[in-house]
Amino acid sequence: MSAKHAMPEAPAPRTPSGAGLLTASGVTMQFGGLRALNDVSFGLSEGEIIGLIGPNGAGKTTFFNCLTGLYAPTSGSVALRGTPLPQDPAKVTDRGIARTFQNIRLFPSMTAEENVLVGRHVRMKQGPLSSLLHGPGFKRSEAEARSRTAELLEFVGLTRFSGELARNLPYGDQRRLEIARALATEPSVLLLDEPTAGMNAQETEATRQLIFGIRDLGTSVVVIEHDTKFIFTLCDRVLVLVQGELLVEGSPDEVRGDPRVVEAYLGAPPDEVEHQIHAAEENP
Amino acid sequence: MTALEKDVVTEPGPAVEPRGRLAALAPYATALRAAGGLLTVIGAYLPWATFVLNEGPYPEKATLEFFTAPFGVSGFRLHLLVFGIVALVLAFVRTLPSRGRILRALGWGIVAVTVANGLYLTVLGGGFGAITAADGAVAFGAIVALIGGALVLVGAFAGGLGEQLRWGRPLGRYAEWAILLVVFTLLLLLVAAVLTSGGQGSVANPYSGAVFLSFLGAVGGLLAALHAAGVLTWVTAMSERHRAFSAIVLLVVALALPLTGAGTQYWMTVAANIGVYAATAIGLNIVVGLAGLLDLGYVAFLGIGAVVAANFSGATAARFDIVLPFPLVMVISAVVAGIFGAIVGSPTLRVRGDYLAIVTLAFGEIFVRSSQNNIGGLTGGSNAIPGIPPVSAFGQAFNEKLTVGSVELPAGALYYFLIVVIVAAVMAVFGNLKNSRLGRAWIAIREDEDAARAMGIRTGPVKILAFMIGATLAGLAGAFFAHKTGTVSYESFRFLESVTLLAAVILGGMGTIPGAVLGASILFVLPEKLREFSDYRLLIFGIALVLIMRFRPQGLVPDSHRRAELAPEAEPPPPDPGTGTATGKVAVQ
Repeated sequence: MSAKHAMPEAPAPRTPSGAGLLTASGVTMQFGGLRALNDVSFGLSEGEIIGLIGPNGAGKTTFFNCLTGLYAPTSGSVALRGTPLPQDPAKVTDRGIARTFQNIRLFPSMTAEENVLVGRHVRMKQGPLSSLLHGPGFKRSEAEARSRTAELLEFVGLTRFSGELARNLPYGDQRRLEIARALATEPSVLLLDEPTAGMNAQETEATRQLIFGIRDLGTSVVVIEHDTKFIFTLCDRVLVLVQGELLVEGSPDEVRGDPRVVEAYLGAPPDEVEHQIHAAEENP
Repeated sequence: MTALEKDVVTEPGPAVEPRGRLAALAPYATALRAAGGLLTVIGAYLPWATFVLNEGPYPEKATLEFFTAPFGVSGFRLHLLVFGIVALVLAFVRTLPSRGRILRALGWGIVAVTVANGLYLTVLGGGFGAITAADGAVAFGAIVALIGGALVLVGAFAGGLGEQLRWGRPLGRYAEWAILLVVFTLLLLLVAAVLTSGGQGSVANPYSGAVFLSFLGAVGGLLAALHAAGVLTWVTAMSERHRAFSAIVLLVVALALPLTGAGTQYWMTVAANIGVYAATAIGLNIVVGLAGLLDLGYVAFLGIGAVVAANFSGATAARFDIVLPFPLVMVISAVVAGIFGAIVGSPTLRVRGDYLAIVTLAFGEIFVRSSQNNIGGLTGGSNAIPGIPPVSAFGQAFNEKLTVGSVELPAGALYYFLIVVIVAAVMAVFGNLKNSRLGRAWIAIREDEDAARAMGIRTGPVKILAFMIGATLAGLAGAFFAHKTGTVSYESFRFLESVTLLAAVILGGMGTIPGAVLGASILFVLPEKLREFSDYRLLIFGIALVLIMRFRPQGLVPDSHRRAELAPEAEPPPPDPGTGTATGKVAVQ
């Protein structure tokens, strides 16, 4: 494989581009002898949609886990609006970063409504004592949470499944419910891990519209996806992660034209990839 | 009846389609059902035992003495007679869409009653001859009734089960209140009848266990039939609509138990014991049922509450010389137990699943061993702490009779009232917490701990809170327990008790209040009733548990959520996949 030799040196550590809503600088994650992430930096600005692509095992989900505090990076730091994020998923969510999971992780035996209500957890003002006594404060916070939940379910188009157990929802609707649950935490950044996996063309399109809608409501979005067509037509900026390193970063057009991406990520003969990319361009 | 029938929504629904291996018998379904009902009726009228048993004639004149009073059918034979007649009638009522289900319930009821009595007679009579033919006497009642029950079952399955009936529109408020009143009163009478059926198990009353089991089978069949007919669902929906009213009526009805046939000192004591374990089981239900944390040492918290109360009671063996008023003692016991709950809960931050179970198991053992060794002189060691004085208020000791006007309440009734109030309070705590931010956080942790954390739930404190609140409730019950029994010994809080409590929660249905109460009742009444089976009672008990878990893994009164999860017949309607994708309009705001 000559492609391997042609691969350029790892890019020098760069200062995060973009304005500073969410910034990661020099994030490295080492699992024993395996370096899953090596010195990855990026920046996300308000109202931006960023795509994160790369072959399987490139470290995309690991990167998400570092951003959300599930993993403590070996070195490097993550900051939201300039303040470093704590290494505790619960506190990170409280600070305004929400996520979905690659393999759907809803609360299967709770209803759709209850799933979203759990998402309201960090925003509800209801202490244990209030939970116990059900006073007027409880009723207020509960009513507020339920009306917000109803709005969110309507937003993602799941109102009719409100009382249905999450496990019984069709696959695509489960992904949408997971997004509604994440939105319930009122995030300023939403991290979506393969939101269209297993969806047909129609559902993928609905998801793309949904993500635009989320952006329009003022939440910035980072999306991991294998579907390059989906990414290139959705995102303002695309990051390519290969073997734990940030290979290329730029607008969809720049990334699409970059030969390194073609070689390293897609791993197919250039002309075939070109064809694929053009096809994506022609049918957005 | 006709007025009610009008309200029955006869949904066209899927036609009653027989399925499975018995489908071939479908053409004979009606004949099978009718034959089964008829045989059951005949069985009820036949003698059941070929001889008079050593302990005296079998109850309900089921022995050969039957011939002295041919039509005086009573007891279990009356139950069989009723079931048989209803099955016979239902076999020919074609308009009832759910009759297959009702017949199935009746069939199981007939089988249960017959097996309970037949098996008992066989064992007691020393062989199969006891219920067939021996010494020139014949008594085929059990065999005939069993065949009858089996035929009803086969007929029910062969003809298709049909849908559970759904009852129609809500009635007016006062009509529903009246119905609820009647239903809850009947419930009280039923509970009293179950509790007292067979009488007090003792040497003088050798048949109490068998009579009780048989009655339990009949009640089970009846309730299953009512459920199949949609009556239980209908009443449940009605009580959901009038929550406050139902709660008050239920409380009043519970307090009225001493006025029924169960109003004797013995049954009051049994009922109060059930109350203690019901309150404890509900507390455990928070930990296990809601938060999904397996706790194998939970009874230790009941013990801690009891020990604390004992030490402040003024008993001679008490460590402290202070006598505090009972309400204060309850609070202190609950708080101390809660603190220990938090201590035990803290390892849960690091330990999950099986490992957590072992940690809690170890804690339970620590409690038992320390109290056995009388650590700190707090527990009395192997001498226990005896002589704890009864609770008293206004000069009235709670363990004595009370006469109010013309009504005389049996001794122990006051303790019973007290535990009813405690259980009601514990229920309120459980119910309120379950439907709150905290309760949802617990359930979320049970479902998927990592996802719960990603939703901003600080799982550590939330889990410790579950342990703490559960322990507090157990401590409350423990304080009551200490005063009611008068003696606190480590032997009441062994591992077996923890397991029994856990079994009560799982058997009754995880995460529900009626489940925990029902489970606790069954697990603590059965041993009382099965005394004369002494050596076999744990065996019977174990077999019953295995059977229930095999055929009803979601518990007797399942949570609506868990029911969907574990029910063998997947009933929840799969949402229409055709409409699942149409969300193009979604994001266009």
